[in-house]
Amino acid sequence: MLPSTLIKIREDLNNFNQNAVMADVEKALGEGICPLDIINILSDTMREIGEKFAGLELFLTDLMMAGEAMKAALNIVLPKIDKADIPVKGKVVLGTVKGDIHDIGKNIVGALLTASGFEVVDIGKDVPATKFVEAAETVKADVVGTSALMTTTMPAMKDLVDYFKAKGLREKYRIIVGGGPVTKSYAEEIGADGYGQSAVEAVEVVKNLIERKQ
Amino acid sequence: MPLEQVLNTVRQQIQNDDSSVQVWGLFVNSVSFLEVLNRSLTGPVSSEREFDYKVAAKLREVVKKYSIKYDSETLVPSDDSLADNLFKAAVEFYADVGTYCMDTERIIRFSEDEIKDAIRNVRHEVLFGEGNEEKAFCARKPESSDLPWCHVGAGIGATSEEILSKLVEAYASIPETNSVSVATLMDVDGIPIRTPPLEVYGSVRMIALAHEAMRRAGRPGLPILNLVSTAASQIAGIAVSTPQFQIRPTDGWLVPTFPDLKVYNDGLTKVAYLLNWGANVGSEYTPLIGGYSGGPEGTAVVTVAYSLNAIMVLKAKYHLYFVSNIVDGCSSSRDALWATATSGQAISRNVQVPIIYLAYQAAGPATEMLFYEETAALLAEVASGLSIETAHPAKAALSDHILPLESQFSCKVAHAIAGTNRHDANQLVKTLLSKYERNLRNPPKGKRYQECYDVRTGKPNQEYLDFYRRITKEIVDLGVDLELV
Repeated sequence: MLPSTLIKIREDLNNFNQNAVMADVEKALGEGICPLDIINILSDTMREIGEKFAGLELFLTDLMMAGEAMKAALNIVLPKIDKADIPVKGKVVLGTVKGDIHDIGKNIVGALLTASGFEVVDIGKDVPATKFVEAAETVKADVVGTSALMTTTMPAMKDLVDYFKAKGLREKYRIIVGGGPVTKSYAEEIGADGYGQSAVEAVEVVKNLIERKQ
Repeated sequence: MPLEQVLNTVRQQIQNDDSSVQVWGLFVNSVSFLEVLNRSLTGPVSSEREFDYKVAAKLREVVKKYSIKYDSETLVPSDDSLADNLFKAAVEFYADVGTYCMDTERIIRFSEDEIKDAIRNVRHEVLFGEGNEEKAFCARKPESSDLPWCHVGAGIGATSEEILSKLVEAYASIPETNSVSVATLMDVDGIPIRTPPLEVYGSVRMIALAHEAMRRAGRPGLPILNLVSTAASQIAGIAVSTPQFQIRPTDGWLVPTFPDLKVYNDGLTKVAYLLNWGANVGSEYTPLIGGYSGGPEGTAVVTVAYSLNAIMVLKAKYHLYFVSNIVDGCSSSRDALWATATSGQAISRNVQVPIIYLAYQAAGPATEMLFYEETAALLAEVASGLSIETAHPAKAALSDHILPLESQFSCKVAHAIAGTNRHDANQLVKTLLSKYERNLRNPPKGKRYQECYDVRTGKPNQEYLDFYRRITKEIVDLGVDLELV
């Protein structure tokens, strides 16, 4: 039987109520509940929210609000845990390629990755290759993900992969690509490590890439 | 004479003579583009995320208030009150939420009175084309027997200049073609196009090739309405939009609004340039089920709101839109068809502007599924008062995956079904759905142009022609009164 405070965390996260979740987490810590148990309830609830989104029972802003509530909660609970015990599945840097400002797909992938327990660093839209490298190096990413929505901006994906090669960093990071006009064969052609046809598939690809890297 | 009568007399005079609009601006009570730019700098401050949350919350509120409900069995509703409630919901929503300017991080807002006044004064037709091809693109209404405007082709990537030319020549050769959508050129002399300077080179070449192709088809005056497809950046698009590159103000330019209801200064710059030239501004919008607007109901409302944004912010003379969902990524799912039909009816009944609907099919060219999907979409569009753009196979994601005969099919179906009532359209849509729905997540990729046509002569091969005849006969047997090839 779960402690009532953990049940409340789950309820408030399902209602996307960030302030309430933060207050619940503080209360749970005050009651002596193990921080890892708090993280587990947050993760399990976020996973359920992610699944509801994938089935279109919930919508994007719901997922985003839940993700923000979870991040705020983690900011409270993570300092209470030894770094060695922190369950991080992996770090992902996300951005749209240079020249492309269509970001809704990226936002969906980012929200689903957060829901699945990954740490996501979103570097925005229309991002030059240099910024991808800078962000990956700064946060020590495992995966770099990029998207393009137009056939005219797709070639910048190859530029990104080539840039990582030119900097001698290609083997250090796994690169995943996606977006409307992008295909699996294009991803293979440019030397990307993975491709997601949908946001849900992208999360699975990221999981597999990180597992293989480890 | 009472003041209201004076104002109505003046308004009537202004509608009869557009050149007086600027002089009589005070009496027209519409919001000028300069005022829009002013509001982009002085409107309420908001972060993008706050705006997205406000959009979602307000949509939920108006969907509930106006009882907008998705019915998965009635994809082309005949209920005029649903369409009109959708419109009312959109006006209330848009007056509250406005349009977000990404560069200034401010909201461009309009009152309900300003919105309603702009709708009253909106142009119901726009002139495109030159010489023999000059033609008025007029707004339609649901179940109208007026022939829909046929915008033929797609901005799908073409891997060679030869293929691009052959495609455009074929589009221009279709008798029903009213305007052309030119393929995107992927490279210049082998260099992939992906920066603005390369886009300029590619666009200049694309336009020259398209004009030569239309000339060979005997229709040099046809308008191109998807300018400038090879230029992803607005700066490149503006740079090539001049008469010295054969571009004419009677062509059409698509200015995007991003999900949901967001504009950038780049796009507003393009509008400023085109308005000063007197060229045809088109508004392009791409509502997404499962995105910020939520399910099909919220997406239908936001689609109508996009049409209001087109009139109020972009001063667009024509609109082009498509609805898709985040799961299937195409326009052929039940919820996308419903959102297409209901938004189309709401706009065509209440706003009355020239609108092209562009449906993205999951299946690729030369597949039965493509024809089922495209026919279903056309029924939803035409019966709901929209005009059409021809098929976009394989979600327009694959280069060279487009066949002119399938574009011609779209036109012939669109003309054949003009005047179909919504009830009959719905029945046929459901029949077609039963033939393709289960394959939406794993559709056939289809074939490239080169596999079905002789690139040198531009003629379809016998294998493809046999397939085409067989599938069009099947569509006729389903109840679409098509003339068989």
